[in-house]
Amino acid sequence: MFEQVILASECDVANEVICAPADVKELFELPTVFHIGELAISRTIILIFLAAFIVVALLYFGLRKGSVIPSKFQAVIESLVQFVRKDVAEDIIGPEGVKYAPYLTAMFLFLLVGNLFEITPLINFPITSRMAIPAFLAIVTYVIFVFVGFRKNGVHYLTDIIWPKAVPLALRWLVGIIELFSTFLLRPLTLAVRLFANLVAGHLMLTLLLGSGAIFIWNFADAGAKSLVGVAWFAFGIGIFLFEIVVAVLQAYIFTLLSAVYIQSSVHPEH
Amino acid sequence: MLYAMSNVLIMAQEETEGGGNIGLVLPDSYELVAGIIAFGIVFFFVYRWAFPAINRSLENRQQAISGQLKEAEAAKLEAQSLLDDYRAQLATAKGEANRIVEEARTQGDAVRADLVSKSEAEAGQIVAKARADATNEKARALQEARQEVADLSIDLAEKVVGESLDREAQHGLIERYLADLERMA
Repeated sequence: MFEQVILASECDVANEVICAPADVKELFELPTVFHIGELAISRTIILIFLAAFIVVALLYFGLRKGSVIPSKFQAVIESLVQFVRKDVAEDIIGPEGVKYAPYLTAMFLFLLVGNLFEITPLINFPITSRMAIPAFLAIVTYVIFVFVGFRKNGVHYLTDIIWPKAVPLALRWLVGIIELFSTFLLRPLTLAVRLFANLVAGHLMLTLLLGSGAIFIWNFADAGAKSLVGVAWFAFGIGIFLFEIVVAVLQAYIFTLLSAVYIQSSVHPEH
Repeated sequence: MLYAMSNVLIMAQEETEGGGNIGLVLPDSYELVAGIIAFGIVFFFVYRWAFPAINRSLENRQQAISGQLKEAEAAKLEAQSLLDDYRAQLATAKGEANRIVEEARTQGDAVRADLVSKSEAEAGQIVAKARADATNEKARALQEARQEVADLSIDLAEKVVGESLDREAQHGLIERYLADLERMA
């Protein structure tokens, strides 16, 4: 919403081909809505708490009754929770996955709602296109799998990564370096960036395409033939919009799944 | 500690903000704090409320289903025993019916045989009685005829002789004569 306003005020429909703000930050650093003392509460922060509130509300209203014969809504919420618990936590980590199920479930639902904000009318901003949440969750997953790795396997956790006995001796040192680098540096980084970058790209595409489309079409008096370009942008934007529904769900799932896989690799490092 | 951490992050961000859009890639400290609190709320709620709630309802459902299965099993067993009972009863009833029919048949046969033998005996009796009657009648008629013949003969003889005769002696004579006749015939 705010982005479109920025786009509209800055766009010169006669000369531009696509309407973009002068600084891409304007699409991601949302304006302050109000202050609490010194604290500037931006729209993003409100949305972060809204996402948490929505997750809690969905769970509360879905599981409150706990009927033996569930209503449709209860069945949906139950199957969402059971999906993370059974199909992700227990199937990937094994019986010990039960311990991590609350974390993975909270993560999946929070990311799902946060991602879906991208395509939610009137919100139109994925909170996961800001680095804070992906980085925080990636760090928590990192701390969990490193901690579990050392607690389960002691110093062997580290030595098995550096000196993998299953690999031929000639290659062992090379694989060791790659694994060390990959496990302790790349895993948290890629986990956070994958989610963040996907949602940044999606949000960028949607705001530019739908924003430009709308501006060119509404200002057809000034834009002239460019209004047709606007129609094309808008149609393309609708296509991306549908695609982003899939991306939003998939990225929440992938983040959760990879967190489970990383934890599993520390619980059973031989695999 | 959180405050110190966010201060560090704010400083880090301020340093980078000057250099282009790298700030977009680094987490905003306020948002980080907000994210930690928000996720903390979600996690706490999932851990303390949602999981126990879903476990409870799944357990209830499990119990309900296993209870229903047990009930269904019991009902099935009952139905089976009822069916067996009915089958047994049916078999008994059939046997009974057969027995009754058989009994009726043998009784009927007995009654018939009885009737036949009774009527045969009766018929025999009737015939025998008829025969006996006929024989008696014949004998009586013969006796009467003899008496008549004797009387007539005596009467005739009296007329011829002209005086009365000793009837007893004459009768004996006639009787003897008739008996001789019968023997010769």
